[in-house]
Amino acid sequence: MKSKMKTIAALLKLEYWEHRGAFVKTPLIIGLVMGVITILAYATSDRFVVDLSGGDNLKLAISTLEQLSDGQITMGLDIFMLSTGSLYHFILFILIFFFLLGSLYDDRKDGSILFYKSLPISDTQTVLSKLMVATIIAPMAFTVGLMISHLFVFLILSLILLFNGLNPFSLLWSNTSFISNWGAFAIGCIVQALWALPLYGWLLFTSAVAKRRPFLMAVFAPLVAGFIWYWYNALVNLNLFKIGFFKTIGILFAKATTPFASGIDQPKSGSFEFDPSEQSNLDVIQGMLNGLMQIELVYGIIFAAVTTGLAIYIRRYRNTI
Amino acid sequence: MSAILSAHDLNKSYGKFQVLKNINLTIERGKVVGLIGPNGAGKTTFLKSVLGLLPCDGELSVLGIDPFKKRPELMKEICFIADVAVLPKWIQVSQLLDFTEQTHPNFSREKALAFIAKTKIKLNHKVKELSKGMVAQLHLAIVMSIDAQLLVLDEPTLGLDILFRKEFYNNLINDYFNHERTIIITTHQVEEIEHILTDVMFIKDGEIVLNADMDTLKSEYFEVMVNQTNYQQAMNLKPLTVKKVFGKYIMLFKAESKSKVSPLGEVQRPSVSDLFVALMQEEQS
Repeated sequence: MKSKMKTIAALLKLEYWEHRGAFVKTPLIIGLVMGVITILAYATSDRFVVDLSGGDNLKLAISTLEQLSDGQITMGLDIFMLSTGSLYHFILFILIFFFLLGSLYDDRKDGSILFYKSLPISDTQTVLSKLMVATIIAPMAFTVGLMISHLFVFLILSLILLFNGLNPFSLLWSNTSFISNWGAFAIGCIVQALWALPLYGWLLFTSAVAKRRPFLMAVFAPLVAGFIWYWYNALVNLNLFKIGFFKTIGILFAKATTPFASGIDQPKSGSFEFDPSEQSNLDVIQGMLNGLMQIELVYGIIFAAVTTGLAIYIRRYRNTI
Repeated sequence: MSAILSAHDLNKSYGKFQVLKNINLTIERGKVVGLIGPNGAGKTTFLKSVLGLLPCDGELSVLGIDPFKKRPELMKEICFIADVAVLPKWIQVSQLLDFTEQTHPNFSREKALAFIAKTKIKLNHKVKELSKGMVAQLHLAIVMSIDAQLLVLDEPTLGLDILFRKEFYNNLINDYFNHERTIIITTHQVEEIEHILTDVMFIKDGEIVLNADMDTLKSEYFEVMVNQTNYQQAMNLKPLTVKKVFGKYIMLFKAESKSKVSPLGEVQRPSVSDLFVALMQEEQS
């Protein structure tokens, strides 16, 4: 048991080494971009002369800031932190999507599977380690990356405020609820992983099966299955929308990309609009957790277990391509 | 002596194409076995079955373990180099050592470092920065640092130049092999490994056509170098193969005809590659 845990730990470390560019650097790079945009916005604010401000945007901004109540500032900061969090969730999902797609395919393509299989590592351990990267390691890296990025942007804002004779501590830092905003992001990652689990399982399965281009299989196989299903219903039962095949997938994607909005009931269009100005961070957490109380989540986890199990089984028979 | 590998009625088909046909063999501990056969003869399929990478019909037992069912368990005791270029390209040498150390209970990092120190490989190199020969050296260094009972090498030196190939086999025999360990090698460059083999197996169209130890093999066949005057006389004794070298004929015979043939020319020991060619042709005719 101890040696099995050691093997899993080694496999996770291996994934970290291989993919730290994607999972560790990406959130930091976005943070850097946000910081640069802040500086640019500040540096260029005087160039846009708007009549309303009497020709001096910055002065107007400063005087406005001074007039704002603490509650309004907090809300503004929450909107910033939650909307960047939502953006990070979306990017995280995209990265995990492509990571999983290649996870059981790339090593078959370049032959390194033969090295991995020459070590006493079971296929179950290998596949589970990939799933753990998607559900635990990558979200953790993104959470830390988001925290660093927020602090970085806040540091720049503080310098700008200081430069203009304002106190960043009373205006900025004391009005920010880091714990609940970052907590919302971290819980969002867990909710995201839970809703996305059937998609992750499917990606692992296609990655293990595909002889070439797992992407095509991952995307087109469900499309074909969906169309056959619709035509079957249309021709045989004359009941076109008996089970919403595409709708289910659409909802899963929406919840996986925007976990903050996953608590909103029954989206009309199959996509969620997350509007951070409508909800506080605590509302968001509450909503996400309430959203988990759905039987669909259990079906999704069962589907994920089946597809992951199949991926492990197929992996045993697969070598180089 | 105990059998480290035993196969009984081993069969493997891909659809209608039968790759392995009723293979029966045992390999004893402490041998260096050359598995030799033309392309597509089933060598790699056989080795993949031995390594638990492919399921097959029949009984196969390696160290008493069914390879396909219990591959992770088996891999603690055996190791293999399947091709020269299977190490992950993105990884750093030090990371590769860390990973192997953490996943393999019988790996010695000190040994690996000592082997690597003899090469030009640096620990902060990435595998993709190494030349093909260096990757093979690295892989061999890792494999030789694993205290395994069986080592399987499938074309380990493919694509390497002669200097690397010689060094590869020298290291293998001098630094790794002892009489507790067993090595199975396949290669097309038979002449380069001939001197290190204790046993040879010829495989053709999925069947083992010859399985013998080197001494028996060499005593069962012999070569005679015949000049033009004795050519016809020697040909009448039906040599297995004939090749012409510098105006003389080198003919391969079975040991039974030695008394009749030896007066006709200079007798010499045949090489494994000559025997291989002869036996493959004999099968065809």
